[in-house]
Amino acid sequence: MPLWVLRAVAVFVLLGLGLAQGEVDPREEAKRQKQLLLETAGILPTELIVEQGKEFFNRKGPLGKTMAECDFGLGKGVLEGAAARLPRYFLDTGKVEDLDSRILTCMTRVQGFRPDQIKRQEVVAIAFYIASFSMGKPIQVRLLFPQERELYALGEKLFYARSGARDVGCATCHISYVGRRAGVLPYADVLGKDKSWTHWPAYRYSNDQIWTMQDRIRACYGNIAHPQPDLYSLPILALELFMAYQNNGAVVEEWPAFVR
Amino acid sequence: MKRTAIVVGSLVLLGLGLSQVSPFRARLEAALHAGGHEFARVMLSQDKGQALCSQHRDKLPADLIPGFLAEQKALIKYPANGKLMGDWKNGEKVFTDPKRGNCYACHAGVASEVAYGTMGPSLTNYGQRGTSEAVVRYTYEKIYNAWAFVPCSLMYRGGVHGLFTPEETADLVAFLLDPESPINRR
Repeated sequence: MPLWVLRAVAVFVLLGLGLAQGEVDPREEAKRQKQLLLETAGILPTELIVEQGKEFFNRKGPLGKTMAECDFGLGKGVLEGAAARLPRYFLDTGKVEDLDSRILTCMTRVQGFRPDQIKRQEVVAIAFYIASFSMGKPIQVRLLFPQERELYALGEKLFYARSGARDVGCATCHISYVGRRAGVLPYADVLGKDKSWTHWPAYRYSNDQIWTMQDRIRACYGNIAHPQPDLYSLPILALELFMAYQNNGAVVEEWPAFVR
Repeated sequence: MKRTAIVVGSLVLLGLGLSQVSPFRARLEAALHAGGHEFARVMLSQDKGQALCSQHRDKLPADLIPGFLAEQKALIKYPANGKLMGDWKNGEKVFTDPKRGNCYACHAGVASEVAYGTMGPSLTNYGQRGTSEAVVRYTYEKIYNAWAFVPCSLMYRGGVHGLFTPEETADLVAFLLDPESPINRR
């Protein structure tokens, strides 16, 4: 059995084992944990990662340029509100890109890094940094270019698709069974009131991980023992564009977020 | 990147007539394969039931339901010895094993077990239904293929997908129905 299946299964089990009988609002609990960390450490892990991301952002690449030379959708070097408008189609690459893939594009095309030199942890830290400039901004994702509309349509199909040996898909839990739980947390109303698109990138205090929505989507598939789409791949972008568009207008309360 | 160009026509796939052969199919396949071949393989091998549930977003039109239920029922296989109630002790192992039953993910079971999900109804004291032939058969078939009773329900078709064998299904039935099973003891 491949390793990812075992890991996926392990997550399923771990989620199950941690269950407490009393129901605690996970958001309130996250706030409490955040406060606790702030009081004991004096600084939040999210703030540390943002600082780290800032250093990577301002580091010169092999071509002697920092990431400030890159266009994240609102013009060269403009970060204010940029992440809230992603994913979107970029004329220079001819692709729909989210924050993760745009960072990758910046590092390879503008800064001159080879793809194999780029560490995932750095990309996530940079995503934390760039996302921090969109706090308080509404999500504004458009379906203007045919490429955006096509990807959105694929994302919608994937969201509602039921597949694999567990016969499930995103919508099964996040639409049909919202509020019930298979693990510690009740399933989020991803397209509705929970506006889950605005919860990532985030720091997960339960296991000290930093994730973007790409990691979150992959973990969802993992939890249902379904093969995961590769990082930066079209199926992930499609799901992201679908979710972001569905959450249009939602105001980003906290980026990077602090979650369980 | 050409692969970005997934045609709107791909909408009809992944839940609508996967038998359709067209250039759209090829483009959809390319888009899914961009996510990895294993991912694409599973997405593209939806069976008819999965495709229908995807297409109708878990709410089948009334006229499709009788045919759907009959087709799902036909997928149920039974133990060679014909016994639908096996060994509850092995049943408990299958029930708990995340790779086989994984039942605690959604159901409460033995009362002392606190790590359970709430997606499905509690199964604690399931045995109070007795062990009549009808109860045993219903329980067996429901576990083996839940979609033979509730189209597109969350409960996955563990028997159909081979997550557990017909014999193991019978063991699960025993775990639920046997008066000696801890699920039925205080």
